[in-house]
Amino acid sequence: MADTITLLALFQDVDPAADAIERLRKLGLDDGQMNVISGIPVLERVLGRPKRWTNVPRLALGGAGLGILLGLFLVYGTPILFAVHVGGQPLYPVPPGIIIVFEMGMLGLMAASFIGVFLDSYFPAYKPMEYIPAISDGKIAILFTCPQKDQARFVKAMQAEGAESVQPAERRPL
Amino acid sequence: MAVTAKSLLRPRAHTEEEEDPTEHLLLDPRPRGEMNAMVMESMHTTSWKFWIVTMVLALIVAVCLFGAWGYMIANGLGVAGVTKPEYWGIFLVNTVFWIGISHAGTFVSALLRVLKVEFRRPFTRAAELMTTFGLVQAGLSIFMHLGRVWLSYWLFPYPNERGLWPNFHSPLMWDFMAINTYLLASTMYLFMPLIPDLAMARDRSTGWRKVFYRILSLGFRGTEGEWTHLKTAMNIFAFAILPVMFSVHTIVAWDFAMATRPGWSSTVFGPYFVVGALHSGLAAVVVVLFIISTTMKNMKYFIRPEHFDGIGKLMLMITMTWGYFFFNDYIVEWYGGESISRTLQKFLETGPLAWMWITMLVLNFVIPLAVLWNRRWRRTPWVMFGLGILINIGMWFERYIIIPDALTINRMPFTWRVYIPHVEIPLTIGTFALFILLYMLASRLIPLVPVWEVQEGQMAHTLRKFGKAKVATKAEIE
Amino acid sequence: MTTPTPSDTPEPKWGMVIDQDLCTGCQACVTACAMENNLSFVGEEDAGYGRGMHWIRVERFWTGVFPTVYTSFQPVLCQQCGHAPCEPVCPVFASVHSESEQINVQVYNRCVGTRYCANNCPYQAREFNWRDYPRPDPLSNQLNPDVTVRRRGVMEKCTFCVQRIRRVEDQAHSENRAVRDGEVQPACAQACPAHAITFGLLEDPDSQVSIKARNSRGTLLLGELGTLPRVTYLKGGATHGSNG
Repeated sequence: MADTITLLALFQDVDPAADAIERLRKLGLDDGQMNVISGIPVLERVLGRPKRWTNVPRLALGGAGLGILLGLFLVYGTPILFAVHVGGQPLYPVPPGIIIVFEMGMLGLMAASFIGVFLDSYFPAYKPMEYIPAISDGKIAILFTCPQKDQARFVKAMQAEGAESVQPAERRPL
Repeated sequence: MAVTAKSLLRPRAHTEEEEDPTEHLLLDPRPRGEMNAMVMESMHTTSWKFWIVTMVLALIVAVCLFGAWGYMIANGLGVAGVTKPEYWGIFLVNTVFWIGISHAGTFVSALLRVLKVEFRRPFTRAAELMTTFGLVQAGLSIFMHLGRVWLSYWLFPYPNERGLWPNFHSPLMWDFMAINTYLLASTMYLFMPLIPDLAMARDRSTGWRKVFYRILSLGFRGTEGEWTHLKTAMNIFAFAILPVMFSVHTIVAWDFAMATRPGWSSTVFGPYFVVGALHSGLAAVVVVLFIISTTMKNMKYFIRPEHFDGIGKLMLMITMTWGYFFFNDYIVEWYGGESISRTLQKFLETGPLAWMWITMLVLNFVIPLAVLWNRRWRRTPWVMFGLGILINIGMWFERYIIIPDALTINRMPFTWRVYIPHVEIPLTIGTFALFILLYMLASRLIPLVPVWEVQEGQMAHTLRKFGKAKVATKAEIE
Repeated sequence: MTTPTPSDTPEPKWGMVIDQDLCTGCQACVTACAMENNLSFVGEEDAGYGRGMHWIRVERFWTGVFPTVYTSFQPVLCQQCGHAPCEPVCPVFASVHSESEQINVQVYNRCVGTRYCANNCPYQAREFNWRDYPRPDPLSNQLNPDVTVRRRGVMEKCTFCVQRIRRVEDQAHSENRAVRDGEVQPACAQACPAHAITFGLLEDPDSQVSIKARNSRGTLLLGELGTLPRVTYLKGGATHGSNG
């Protein structure tokens, strides 16, 4: 929408940040118009934010399933493709199967979680984005979108809550 | 009349309790910006002595590792000491040793994270780096051991024109699968908590460093979504990598337990090796932490006596567990009645390498037990450093005894012969040099302390008044 | 005592009987095997360190105290086990069981040299090529064209002279007949001057090797391990009036 502006308010600590978020809600913004960027992970309920959705657990389970299938193929599929008899052991052995299925399942679980982080966070993101380096010094920034005509009111509200700085959020290369 | 209890062992115990709370890292917070600057400074401050050591190590690696290995590949394994009956020698000792070292990183990082043990916070990354570089040495050692290493890719299951697949009945294939899983998993587990610190380094760097960190930090900003995804994945990893860690060294142990050799075919080998890995690994963590805290700038703020104390308590438990498993294995063979097992035991205890067997027991069990019960010694970094070195020597001896020493005795006495290593010696020195070299170079590029985790811990800890005392309190804000 | 065969293992086919009471320890079998199978000459130093290429070796044991000392000789070769411990442990399937010949085959081209099979062999019957050993002219003229040569990094062991087995079987097949008893003679059996080594079809109960394997002096080397060796040793010792 052309008449909105994105502002970035920087806070020193969790208490003023949490109060600021409540204030923004009172001023008419809904949760989707706000985002919190912080130098350490802050629990959503500490700041009064809704719990965040993540696909990582489901992707992880899917990966585990794929891993288990891979393990089953390696131990039981390959002797079907090319049977070789060794040492009086059965062609489709059970204990080695348990080992390989376990390992491949765990690999799938973990690889899928890892890839899930990339997919869900849209990593790698090398384009310019709204950010200020002070955030990695432990500050908490609230990124919010408000109607342009109300900009002054929002700025004053954030400063009243103790914001160190309130500025328009620029997209800058990281 | 009331009787006051006085401790016989520690008469000044009650005065020791009135220690300064800021002795604890998590009760001695500094502004995050300051901690970030400290970590960046420790990465950038490099003395000329550092570069001298690096160049010497690089020379050792070039000659003793790659030079000697090239010579061995060109001339065959005959230049090593392996023969009948010791078909496996120091290369396998090194492989098992390095995989053991690598287990400590995961143990410290994953188990302590799962159990929410707070003192882990400053050194999880240093330990995880040990895991990755230790696995590199283990991989090199196992490649060195192969007769035709240029064909080692045949262990990888890939479709080919001959329709051949590797043999999954073989413990070596389980090894291949498990160690690769563990290598990938621990590298991913190293990288994920590193991303926010790489972002911090990106924000504080210029020039080629900034490009390097910018690429590696993937555009991480710290939004709610990014933290949620990252923390979820880290939790999954912490839980999942623990069974993998246990399974990896168990499978390495099964290389020996599945064999028909006397002294090897022991059902206790699985857990025995896992405990042995933790023993040498935790000792190695202590050694690395001592070197980091004494040679790198600002690290004395992050690595404190309390951390050596905490790891020391773990080491005490592991020492006792190791002794338990060793005795288990020993007494069953001693009692059992199979004459070949008794012959082997007698050879180990009284044969040409009896000194190594005794030294192993002293270094692995007697000395740690004598030292680690004492709280003051546990909190003295150089004592723990010395103990760590001794335990690692003892554990290397333990693997030497299990592999080339025990292989001397088999069921065909006509073949018995003592193993004399040759080119294995420079190659072993080379792997140690490479490990140290990689670690030193990494310390210039990777922030060794996960500052965001330390800040998280510091934010969660406060002092509050509890009766007349000021007690440390931890808030559950994770 | 014959080779025991549990129901889930195929019956043995080729087998050998070695009569230790006849063996004089002359090592003609060792020499013949080396000639037939292109074994490398490793030199004095390597041989002294246990790296000699001995697909069959004659173990010599002294019993008693001087002057009443007895020697006994035990030729040890690959027992071609029915439940071979060397087979499941090779990660690349270089040590596999031949279902048709019921022997253990070592696939030289596939071996990557992990040496797990050699560690696992309770008879220590396997040899590894620790180096490339030179065969300067005119020694190279002595090579047997029926047998390949192996380079460094590869495991090898006795094959029951499978090249001779194959030649006889092919001949018999082209003549539309069965293989005759005694037609296949591995190099060691052929060379033994005391006729201590007998080779043949264990699946034929009337063959020489089957009859000898049922002899009351018969034992299996490390038979208690359950490896199901195809080689039976005849050893009477003092109870059967031999030289010890």
